[in-house]
Amino acid sequence: MLHSPVPRRDGLQPEGWVARIHRGAVMAAAVLGLGLLAGCATPPDDPDALAAFEEANDPLEPLNRYFFELNYAADELLLKPLAGWYYVALPNFAQDGVRNALRNLRSPIVLANDLFQGETERAGITVGRFLVNSTLGLAGLFDVASEMGLEYHAEDFGQTLAVHGVGEGPYLVLPLLGPSNPRDATGLVVDMLFDPLTYVGIFGGIDNIGLGAGVVEGIDTRARNLKTLDEIRKGSLDYYATLRSLYRQRRVDEINNGETPPEGVGPDFDAAPEDETSERPAPPRKSAVVAAVASPTYVTVPVIDAPAPTAGPRIVAPTSFIKEPTGPTPAALEP
Amino acid sequence: MTALRAFLAVLLIAAASVVVRPAVAAGDADPAASAFMQKLGNDAIDDLTDPAVPMPERQVRFRRLLDEHFDMPAIAKFVLGRYWRTADETQRAEFQKLFQDFLVGSYSARFSEYRGEAFKVSGSNAETGGTVLVHSKIDMPTSEDIRVDWRLRGRGGDYAIVDIIVEGVSMAVTQRSEFAAVIQSRGGVDGLLEALRTKNAQSANNSAE
Repeated sequence: MLHSPVPRRDGLQPEGWVARIHRGAVMAAAVLGLGLLAGCATPPDDPDALAAFEEANDPLEPLNRYFFELNYAADELLLKPLAGWYYVALPNFAQDGVRNALRNLRSPIVLANDLFQGETERAGITVGRFLVNSTLGLAGLFDVASEMGLEYHAEDFGQTLAVHGVGEGPYLVLPLLGPSNPRDATGLVVDMLFDPLTYVGIFGGIDNIGLGAGVVEGIDTRARNLKTLDEIRKGSLDYYATLRSLYRQRRVDEINNGETPPEGVGPDFDAAPEDETSERPAPPRKSAVVAAVASPTYVTVPVIDAPAPTAGPRIVAPTSFIKEPTGPTPAALEP
Repeated sequence: MTALRAFLAVLLIAAASVVVRPAVAAGDADPAASAFMQKLGNDAIDDLTDPAVPMPERQVRFRRLLDEHFDMPAIAKFVLGRYWRTADETQRAEFQKLFQDFLVGSYSARFSEYRGEAFKVSGSNAETGGTVLVHSKIDMPTSEDIRVDWRLRGRGGDYAIVDIIVEGVSMAVTQRSEFAAVIQSRGGVDGLLEALRTKNAQSANNSAE
């Protein structure tokens, strides 16, 4: 077996990153505390309104909406025009080159997270892509690997935390960075530690190289969504609420690597409203991650177990609102 | 030399892992549902995306499609969520009408942007709760393929669509979250109805121009 290609820096030893998650959580808590002072919504008294409030899982909504407006303004003033310029000025193949190169640079982050999630097969694909595209693909400008069947996939530390059972926490809108939550915000910070560009920046004396790559990535991504976001905005009554829901559902999908659980649980279109879960809870993708990492013959067969709600790792979209009906029996609620 | 060997080994592993993976991961639990969806998709593309069809006619056709192949009463009830229970009959009836107008207003214009992308059904899954999830892909010529799942359930010996899930994002769930937020901020179902009326009037104006 090959040596594990995980970069073994001190900071990446298990104790190290656990400590860092811890620190991230403390930071997130601090941010939360600050937010609680500044923009906490008061839970309503009416039971329906309270249920809706818990379902939204957005206790900082006033503060979040404030940052959302700010981000929207920054987008209109700066990012969108830049993205529009980029979209018009660069031919399609050049835009694809930019994206390919950026994705190639992200490979170490994706690889680290593939491995932390026990996804050895996907880790192999990430390594294969990096080697092929860095050489045959001329420093990553061309995605030759995709032609060979090695399709791109993304991973990040927020997803890794989710796979290991960390809940998302309340919704957050980060200044400039947009929709997030404490788990994914922590992931952003940890991913910077996996990013060689961070160290090239620090030790190679190239200032802000990681930031630069991030900005280009932001412009490229925005350029690819010019029309989509406009349409979503035009088609919505509450753009903020729509994006909040979109963000959460996309994350659940990404955490599940875009796979539909074999025994899917769809929202119940017949149930009394009280019984419905709003965002579809995804069954746990796997439980014994440690065993999976230890076993070289691991294949991605989902180990579906039935963990007690408080014990096993579960990837679940908001859970706080999934409750036993407290009112009359469901049958009595049927119109 | 060792580096080269490692390189080749990794390539081999990567290649093997791709070969091991079956071409179509998802099975086809309900071939009838898949066939229904493929046919409906093809028909809808023929019917709705013809650039020669004027907008009002396209809206009429889309409305017919919603009535015939979507379980609109179930969808309306689902997206109103817990507020369905507290709404009275008049509010429910008005919501159903406004919601359908809202869908027609929001989506009709998008069909004209169709550029011949292929619509391919790839399989299906049975779900607890009696629904079937049909998986499909839309081949985009210049960007990455879009993964679209269709949630169907039986209705009168045929299937009816209750939800469309694009890259893991359910239209019904998104709509419900949004409507709940509007109901919250506007103090009740009547507030949502008012917001929908305003929005629909705007769309009508836009398409008339």
